[in-house]
Amino acid sequence: MNKCLTTFIALFMFTSYKAQSQPDMQKIVIHFKHVANGKSLHPDSVYQNPLGETYSVKKLKYYLSNLGFNKQVNTNISLIDAFATDSIKIMLPYPAKKGTFNFQLGVDSIYNCSGAQEGVLDPLNGMFWTWNTGYINFKLEGQSDYATTKTKHFEYHIGGYTGKNKTMRQIRLPYAGTDRTTQLYILVNLDNFWKGQSDIKISTTPVINSPGAIAKSAADNFSGLFSIIQQ
Amino acid sequence: MAGILFLVLLFFTGAYEKYGPTPLPFVVPKGWPQPPTNIFASNPSTREGFLLGKTLFYDGNLSRDSITSCASCHQYFAAFSTFEHSFSHGIENRFTQRNAPGLFNLAWKTSYHWDGGVNHLEVQALGPITDTNEMGETLDNLLLKLRNNPQYPPLFKAAFGDTAITTKRLLKALAQFTGNLVSAGSKYDQVKNGKDSFLPYEQKGYEIYKQYCSSCHSEPLFTNDKFSNNGLGLNKLNDLGRKRITGLSRDSLQFKIPSLRNLKLTPPYMHDGSMGYITQVINYYTVIDSSLPQLDPILKKPIRLSERNKAELLAFLFTLTDTSFTKNKNYAPGEHIIFRH
Ligand code: HEC
Ligand code: HEC
Repeated sequence: MNKCLTTFIALFMFTSYKAQSQPDMQKIVIHFKHVANGKSLHPDSVYQNPLGETYSVKKLKYYLSNLGFNKQVNTNISLIDAFATDSIKIMLPYPAKKGTFNFQLGVDSIYNCSGAQEGVLDPLNGMFWTWNTGYINFKLEGQSDYATTKTKHFEYHIGGYTGKNKTMRQIRLPYAGTDRTTQLYILVNLDNFWKGQSDIKISTTPVINSPGAIAKSAADNFSGLFSIIQQ
Repeated sequence: MAGILFLVLLFFTGAYEKYGPTPLPFVVPKGWPQPPTNIFASNPSTREGFLLGKTLFYDGNLSRDSITSCASCHQYFAAFSTFEHSFSHGIENRFTQRNAPGLFNLAWKTSYHWDGGVNHLEVQALGPITDTNEMGETLDNLLLKLRNNPQYPPLFKAAFGDTAITTKRLLKALAQFTGNLVSAGSKYDQVKNGKDSFLPYEQKGYEIYKQYCSSCHSEPLFTNDKFSNNGLGLNKLNDLGRKRITGLSRDSLQFKIPSLRNLKLTPPYMHDGSMGYITQVINYYTVIDSSLPQLDPILKKPIRLSERNKAELLAFLFTLTDTSFTKNKNYAPGEHIIFRH
């Protein structure tokens, strides 16, 4: 609860600081391109992960929050569905010519512990655990002959918002564009989900469905998923 | 001029109040601590919100079979526990995995369920609504049913200002009902307020309670809201308790310390309902095997009670029964909201 309170205060101070220095805002469209094995992600295609396992993807959904250039961020939260979301539009100040484009993969802890939420955080989006309450920050589900489950189903529900096993990740992508950029293209490469700081092997871990050390190590691979496609 | 302005202002604020929901102040009983967090901080408690929450709580339509309501497991006459059932019946003859606790004084809890896996009262209801062993309903379908039920749009409007029916409002309304369930009218409370006195053997039982039980089942809520192991081993369902939430081996077989209030109304006892009678529980505490590895250190010191002491302790525990709670019309199905705190 205390943790909850401190985050809240921090968030509050942060947002009020922002409000003071508000430069020209404009609509930035962020496009997402989800790929595996260099091909667009499609629910009917079969891919091979870097550990040699073949699989198909039925669902890929994740939360992004605090998106923005350099120090300017927009605290809105977006729920990206690889098979439904091509792009999102957010209000941001004109970007500097270069720097970083930043965001957090996952939902700030305050929203995990302060009761019922709405919009993209509505539990009916299927991204909320009811038995160990909190958001699933990242959800990947599919089929693989390598999965040891009865139905050959694998699912990675990555969440957890406290302590050392928290799964939100700050992601910073080097960015170079013009100061009038209104479109940004982000590549989300699923190949890097399986291999990064740790290996996620379908044959040994077909299911991650609770906060903990395994979810944490899966989250450590998140930053490798994203890069900016320079136009 | 100023006078007229004042009158106009008065008229408007008066009219405004008439159409807005009426606040239902949450009253902390005399001598009780303030709740550790204000569960109504972003969900102002109002009569209309409470009434909506109550209507939902007693409505079988919240489940897939349209029969199982919250109240089918949390029974009004049993201080909102499932009377004499170790496990409760959900839809399609399924059973819950744990014993349904009584629902009262929830505003003082910082986590819910026997393993503390639920961090806020508002999100608690998502569990039973969607659990296949309980109400087995999807949120989409439930919201659809509520929107198509002529009873609900006006109730949501009265509580929240317009007829929109959303997950958030559903959860907030339920929390207004459950969060306002306060049980503080037992004989024990009357004694504390100087309106009654213990009989000599109840008084003796109170001393025994203070010596052996109060470090965990602490006054005035009769729980310190912490987790502990009182020696119960692993049950057939392999329920590891708190460990399921934290993943820590030191939390294995730790369960939320339940309140001792209204015990008489809430049999059977323990997270799995494995003890049917309070006498059985009292006996159990006198024979705990102190060599059990997970046992709370407080209970390593044997509790020695004569048969007479056991009867005295039992008599004291019976003074924690609050019949004003189980007869409170505010909480009963129907529309009686009178609220005299
Ligand atoms: C099928 C039976 C069943 C139904 C239906 C049911 N519950 Fe429960 N309830 C339980 C059980 C069992 C527990 C204990 C769960 C646990 O600890 O894991 C519980 C726990 C709770 C708690 C937590 C109490 C505490 O002190 O931690 C609350 C609050 C609650 N239920 C409210 C509700 C509401 C509101 C509904 C309707 C939306 C509802 N329940 C429907 C069986 C049920
Ligand atoms: C070290 C802490 C501790 C002490 C001391 C303690 N208890 Fe408990 N008690 C617990 C825990 C933990 C549970 C829940 C156990 C479970 O379900 O696994 C519990 C459960 C109970 C229950 C069941 C209540 C219900 O609604 O299911 C009763 C009754 C009870 N205790 C009575 C007593 C009495 C009487 C004493 C003193 C003789 C006592 N306890 C001392 C920790 C303690």
